[in-house]
Amino acid sequence: MIIYLRSGGKLHDLLKPDVDQYTRRVETHEGATLVEILGELGIPLVMVAFAFVDGKVRKLDYVPTDGDVITIQSPVAGG
Amino acid sequence: MALSNDELKRYARQMGLPHWGRNGQERLRAASVFIAGAGGLGSAAALYLAAAGAGRITLCDPDTVELSNLNRQVLYSTSDVGREKVTAASERLASLNPAAAIVPLSERIDTSSAPDLIAGHDIAIDCLDTLEARFILNRACMALDVPVIYAAVSGFTGQLSFIHPPATPCLECFIPHKNPTEKPQVPGCTTGIMGSLQAAEAIKYLTGIGSTLASCLLIVESMEPRFDILEIERDPDCPACGNQAA
Ligand SMILES: [Zn+2]
Repeated sequence: MIIYLRSGGKLHDLLKPDVDQYTRRVETHEGATLVEILGELGIPLVMVAFAFVDGKVRKLDYVPTDGDVITIQSPVAGG
Repeated sequence: MALSNDELKRYARQMGLPHWGRNGQERLRAASVFIAGAGGLGSAAALYLAAAGAGRITLCDPDTVELSNLNRQVLYSTSDVGREKVTAASERLASLNPAAAIVPLSERIDTSSAPDLIAGHDIAIDCLDTLEARFILNRACMALDVPVIYAAVSGFTGQLSFIHPPATPCLECFIPHKNPTEKPQVPGCTTGIMGSLQAAEAIKYLTGIGSTLASCLLIVESMEPRFDILEIERDPDCPACGNQAA
């Protein structure tokens, strides 16, 4: 199945977007968690805090479905 | 006490907003706001809250002003470098609005100090710069039933939420215990946007107008640019407010 990962923040360069400036098309298998998918892409998990899909915040144990557009956020703590 | 003629003039360009009026202005004047952190976010939030007429503003930060702060911490001037932040900030806020009572606290927020520092305030504004301090503020405010307006920044990214459990998730329900891997780069425009939005959330809550970002997380990506308002939910396994929380 195909999902789309996106980031406009700090993870942008690691993600290597190919669909547009912020989005990467990823082929993966059904049942894979975000942790597994990010691992396969070589994106360090310490650099991803959470994701959001369809307007909802999701933890990294989220299991994407075909066609999901998933935005990943790095840890942010600055003030 | 009724608003004075000076107050009516000073606030004339906001009191005419729908539902704000004299009542909203008086509520703001009676309010006590705790601002945790007088850095980039705290600068914007404090300036707009003082200008709007918040009656009492406590500023809590143990640091001194450094030259590298001045790209984003707009409470301070070059001549303030080396001074205690809260002292310099109090002078700036008092000159902006002499009617505001500014309480400077040159203290670090930790588990033992937080409850006494925060008690007696109507709302807390989280302008801190470490996750550890943010989680301490989160738990102390939850215990005191004080709502928190959370914001955090890195680069052109900002996050914002209105936190008041049990009606909303707490901070630890949706922010994992994962620190940024490096000290963030932060342009002043990002702290300006997010600190101003924190002031807006506080003003709405304190005056009783509009709706807050309760149970929502706003993500601002100014680089794209893109604003997302996301649903967040309480986590039953949350270490701070979940079923197993101490
Ligand atoms: Zn929680």
